[in-house]
Amino acid sequence: MTSIRNLSRRGFLNMSAAAGSSLLLPSGMLTSAFAADPLPAIAEEDAVIGFGHVGPITDEGWTWSHHQGLLAVKEAYPNLKNILEVENVPYSADATRTYRQFVSEGANMIFDTSSTGDFLHQVVKRAPEVAFMECNGHNPDLPNLGWYYLAHWYPTYVLGVAAGHLSKTGKLGYVASFPVASVYASTNAFLMGARTVNPDATVQTIVINSWFDPQAATQAGTALIDNGCDFLFGIMDEAGYLQVAESRGVWAAMWNTDIRRYGPNAYVSSIIVDFKDFYVDQVGKRLAGTWAPNQTLLPMGGGVDRDVWGQNVPEEVGKAADEVREKIIGGWSPFVGELKDKDGNVRVEADQKMTEMELYNWDWSVEGVSGLEG
Amino acid sequence: MFSSFRIQRLPSSHPGIALAARLAAIVIALVVAGVGIALAGMNPFDLGARVITASFGSSFGMEDLGVLVIPLILTGLAVAVGQQVGAWNIGAEGQFYAGAFAASAVGLFVPGEGPLILILMFVAGLVGGAAWILIPTLARAYANVNELITTLLLNFVATLLVYYVATGPWRDRSGMANSATPPLSTSVPEFWGIVHWGFPIAIGLAILVGAALAFSRWGYEVRLVGSNPSAAKYAGIPVRKHLIMVMLLSGAIAGLAGMLEIAGTVHRLQGGISNNFGYLGIMVAVLARGSPIGVIFSGAFMALILNSGIVLQTQGLTTSVVLAITGFILFLTAIGDELSYYRITREKPEGAA
Repeated sequence: MTSIRNLSRRGFLNMSAAAGSSLLLPSGMLTSAFAADPLPAIAEEDAVIGFGHVGPITDEGWTWSHHQGLLAVKEAYPNLKNILEVENVPYSADATRTYRQFVSEGANMIFDTSSTGDFLHQVVKRAPEVAFMECNGHNPDLPNLGWYYLAHWYPTYVLGVAAGHLSKTGKLGYVASFPVASVYASTNAFLMGARTVNPDATVQTIVINSWFDPQAATQAGTALIDNGCDFLFGIMDEAGYLQVAESRGVWAAMWNTDIRRYGPNAYVSSIIVDFKDFYVDQVGKRLAGTWAPNQTLLPMGGGVDRDVWGQNVPEEVGKAADEVREKIIGGWSPFVGELKDKDGNVRVEADQKMTEMELYNWDWSVEGVSGLEG
Repeated sequence: MFSSFRIQRLPSSHPGIALAARLAAIVIALVVAGVGIALAGMNPFDLGARVITASFGSSFGMEDLGVLVIPLILTGLAVAVGQQVGAWNIGAEGQFYAGAFAASAVGLFVPGEGPLILILMFVAGLVGGAAWILIPTLARAYANVNELITTLLLNFVATLLVYYVATGPWRDRSGMANSATPPLSTSVPEFWGIVHWGFPIAIGLAILVGAALAFSRWGYEVRLVGSNPSAAKYAGIPVRKHLIMVMLLSGAIAGLAGMLEIAGTVHRLQGGISNNFGYLGIMVAVLARGSPIGVIFSGAFMALILNSGIVLQTQGLTTSVVLAITGFILFLTAIGDELSYYRITREKPEGAA
């Protein structure tokens, strides 16, 4: 992270209110606002760092990826012995209890890897001497809390291009967890990519109310295929619908890690996530006493990317999608109006480019995506 | 001649023996857990000390316990009250959600804030919980349909209803929260750290219900219905009326637990808020042997166990190990409890006198 622009909080607010343009800097860091008094430096051997995860670190998916980040921190700071890690933190008041426990164990910095929202913020407010970073969080204006996430809509758009080429029916299936912003961004970007190839493509979504429920994901995948979908995508922390796609002979794209061995024939690619450098950087700053609450979206190529194409993906399809990928890395954005929602209302005016914050907080479906909004 | 031993089940166990059996069960469970932890390469004494200091050594830990115990006492009380009239309310989980749902509807859509809204939410919680057990109650009272099944099945309906509104029509569109409603307009005030007024309400309600059951004519009749419905009927007690009233009360108390959790601790309606409190309430009631006053203590015990689980997790024990230890303690406690009803007597051989 070389070019960090430091802004005062008020400066940031003014700027985001005034400017319609993207706030994303090349580093991925949107803003970095210094608290009135930066938290003091700590010696490596005295520091306590806490990680709270939504799932088990053995999930081969989201939590595993964050755990790799923890291991990278350990490697980068060998004298940092005190790293607390709790798996399966539920999205309930138990999350508050877990993070309170981190604080009472003397944590200096705490990462919430799965946006527990208010449950975390209640702790943040009462522990001003602790640095908090919330993954996919939303900043409720607390001086010791920042957030970080991935600009996953770009590689998702790239996968959408591939899906447009690969799908014969033009019906794309999506196994969704909850109707939350990251799922809106994911389904929309996926369809927008596919429509550059097949203008009639649609995305059918089934919401299963979980990030990790192999049985429900399997059922949803089966139902989507029965409905005519021949390409499955979704944000799941496991390989359930990939196995369905493999046995039914359709395509599938995944999230988090390379899990092609669960369905080598069906596997197209995956949204690969990598938090290692980010965690090492953040912990380093906290130790040095230079940490400030920042809002960071890791960009494509710097924390999130598509995976190596699957064995059955024709070379020209991978090439066509990769050309789009290069264009995006070069600075081009596909998320430009005119965009209509599913009811036909114009939501983004012609030639208007969506900002990173608009993409991050996307809460409506583009025309052609069904199943998320009641 | 050999004297023969006989195992005898007593109608009620001596309180001292019951307490001793329970303590023995906890000690055995902790020893076994300690051996397991030692085998896993950690020091069980360090961990034990850590749990105790984390729970009692700071106001932080005590506050956590204070918040955690509120829903446990109330759902435990809901189940215990049902037991008094001979009904197993397995649906405290669903009534918890229904109470939270109704209270949230008030907190989200009734304009204004302050004490009046809080009272409305309180009433909504009670009514929501009672409404959720209404059908199982009537089915049991008029058609003798087993309430174990009906109350249990409605849990899933209530859970999914809350998931639906929290992720669908009522969801927060501000981007500040995932799969939850916006914050409710009104909160139950806190009086000590993060502990809110639900704490004295829960304890007060348990004492009130316990006293009413122990000392009032109503309580006497309810207990008679619970222990022997035929005799109660013969004695001219309105069995059906008592059954209906007490089951509705049970549902209302569970609904209140949901209301207090929403308005005091979570502040937004969303799936997963119950933390299984409804099911844990069954355990709390069993540990209290159906006694409303006992629920205060078994609720506190359960809160301590759950909180220890969180402390142990930050010490590197995985969730599965913590769950196994928790389950083991409760399992042995239940066995110890049951064993305290038995005594071994030595019979003198016949004719030896």
